Amino acid sequence: MAVISDELKHFLESGVSINIATRDAGLAPHGTRVRAVLVDADHEHVTAYVNKGSAPRLVADLDDNSRVALAFSRPTDHRSCQIKGVCVARRPARSSEKEAVLGQFGGFLGELEAVGIPRVMTAGWWRWPCVALRIRVTDLFHQTPGPGAGEKMG
Amino acid sequence: MTIPLASLASCFQGLIPATLYTCSKDGVPNVALLSHVDYVDSNHVALSFQFFNKSRKNIAENPQALVRVYDPDTMQCYELELRYVRSETAGPLFESMALRIEAIASHSGLRGIFKLLAADIYEVISVAKAADEAGLHAPHLAGPLAPSRGTDALFTLRALQELSDRIHRAGDLETLLDSVLEALDSLFGFGHAMILLPDEATGRLVTIASHGYPENGVGSEVGLGEGIIGMVAEARKPIRIAGLLREMLYAHAVAERARGQGLCPEDRRIPLPGLASPESQLGIPLLAQGDLVAVLCVESRTPYRFHEEDKGYLEVLGNYLAIAIQNTQLRERSEEAEAEARGPSLPVPVAPPAAGGARSHEVTYYASEECILVDGEYLIRSLPAKILWKILREHEESGRTEFTNRELRLDKSLNLPDFKDNLESRLILLRRRLDQRCPDVRIVPAGRGRFVLEPKALLALTEKP
Repeated sequence: MAVISDELKHFLESGVSINIATRDAGLAPHGTRVRAVLVDADHEHVTAYVNKGSAPRLVADLDDNSRVALAFSRPTDHRSCQIKGVCVARRPARSSEKEAVLGQFGGFLGELEAVGIPRVMTAGWWRWPCVALRIRVTDLFHQTPGPGAGEKMG
Repeated sequence: MTIPLASLASCFQGLIPATLYTCSKDGVPNVALLSHVDYVDSNHVALSFQFFNKSRKNIAENPQALVRVYDPDTMQCYELELRYVRSETAGPLFESMALRIEAIASHSGLRGIFKLLAADIYEVISVAKAADEAGLHAPHLAGPLAPSRGTDALFTLRALQELSDRIHRAGDLETLLDSVLEALDSLFGFGHAMILLPDEATGRLVTIASHGYPENGVGSEVGLGEGIIGMVAEARKPIRIAGLLREMLYAHAVAERARGQGLCPEDRRIPLPGLASPESQLGIPLLAQGDLVAVLCVESRTPYRFHEEDKGYLEVLGNYLAIAIQNTQLRERSEEAEAEARGPSLPVPVAPPAAGGARSHEVTYYASEECILVDGEYLIRSLPAKILWKILREHEESGRTEFTNRELRLDKSLNLPDFKDNLESRLILLRRRLDQRCPDVRIVPAGRGRFVLEPKALLALTEKP
């Protein structure tokens, strides 16, 4: 079990690039972009929102095993980290959650804009509805590129 | 494979970072951003291996991988299912990938730390559009990332014909360089371009002509291997960077980590010629018979401004331009000899500086550094500085104003090489630096192989060791 600090929570929810990795029974990896992540009040779980269109393969993988990895990276400075965990529940995202998810994803598109990719170009990336995955965090790793990437946090 | 890999060429430009998904042998998935994905052939891609990390460890245990790449024209995401085949640490593919990474490293002052360890070759099992990250339709694109008009084959051919005509029409080196840079703007829309010549004496490149900059930048220098231009000269290969800001941010992130571990103690970034914050750069070596004649660099504040096709036709232009530069220099030398044989031309009247109330400048030559300062400000160095000092001294001693290229070539103190002395280009450089920094002293061409010194101010000459 790993605990997410307040500072890390702020980073994870700040509107950065988030990708989720799963794998099937044959250890073939799969992945997709995550629209937003919210850290639970216990700081030991997160909820990741992925587009429903990319869910079938994800769901098949999670039905086989619950292992996931979440990679976070901020385009403007490449601060990056990775969460390893297990998916403990999944459900359709609620319409009441849409605003928060859209707001966070908009923050990420703003980051891309800051590095030269205008929003008009990424307009096709926003999709709703989403599937919400509740993930228990087992490990946290530094992943900022360069020497030391991959070291465990804390 | 449902989508031909070759049709994804634009996805391998490095503008949007790719994402690499792997899995360890005990079933733990991993995801990481990837610096470079390159097209190898219709069934293979190469991924950059820069650091020993979890992805690399996983691949050693389990060769299956998934990579997501983005088309910078449409932002459509594609998923490539991969199987690791081998790693290359030498050969053309490795060298091509390494050069691009070295160029970014050099631009960031990170040579030696930010480098390619291997090009990992993967077989592509399948290619599919990612449903969750759909792209825009390319025909509707009008934004700054839209393809350049240079991608139109017929247009490009006509533009190259026009450029070729201009090269043929140029009567001297100065006109040749200026007309090519102007044509790159008017025909291709490349608004920021410069040509740098190698200086054998200093081992550096010096800007001799530029277009589209607030200050013309003539005389600005870069060392071999420094920045993208310096890397082009050192490797004698073209380099195209699509999203320099993103690449720089990535390199800086590496630098921060490296500094934290004591591997990169200082910021070694050096000021380079050109735009302060270019997003796209394309450098082409101008080679003639294997010799580096010059480097042509075009740049833009727009990401992904230069496409692979742009690199292709600028290489063709570069080869042609290199020969044209050499031919122009040879022709000018030959015509100089003929002019010399005909005897001196008519004296060119030069107005003497008006006495009383005339402007004056202190011109100081530092002999050991072969460098001239005017009123304490740097003007020029190396061979152009020695030439200027020689003619200023002669003017001071004898009032002489007219000089010939030939006498400069014969002057042992200048130590010009017998062959390929690049004297014409050094005189252009000197003339332009004076226009820019000290317009009271002009050097005016006066027919083939001749020029006139026009001082419009009183000059106090001082030589220091």
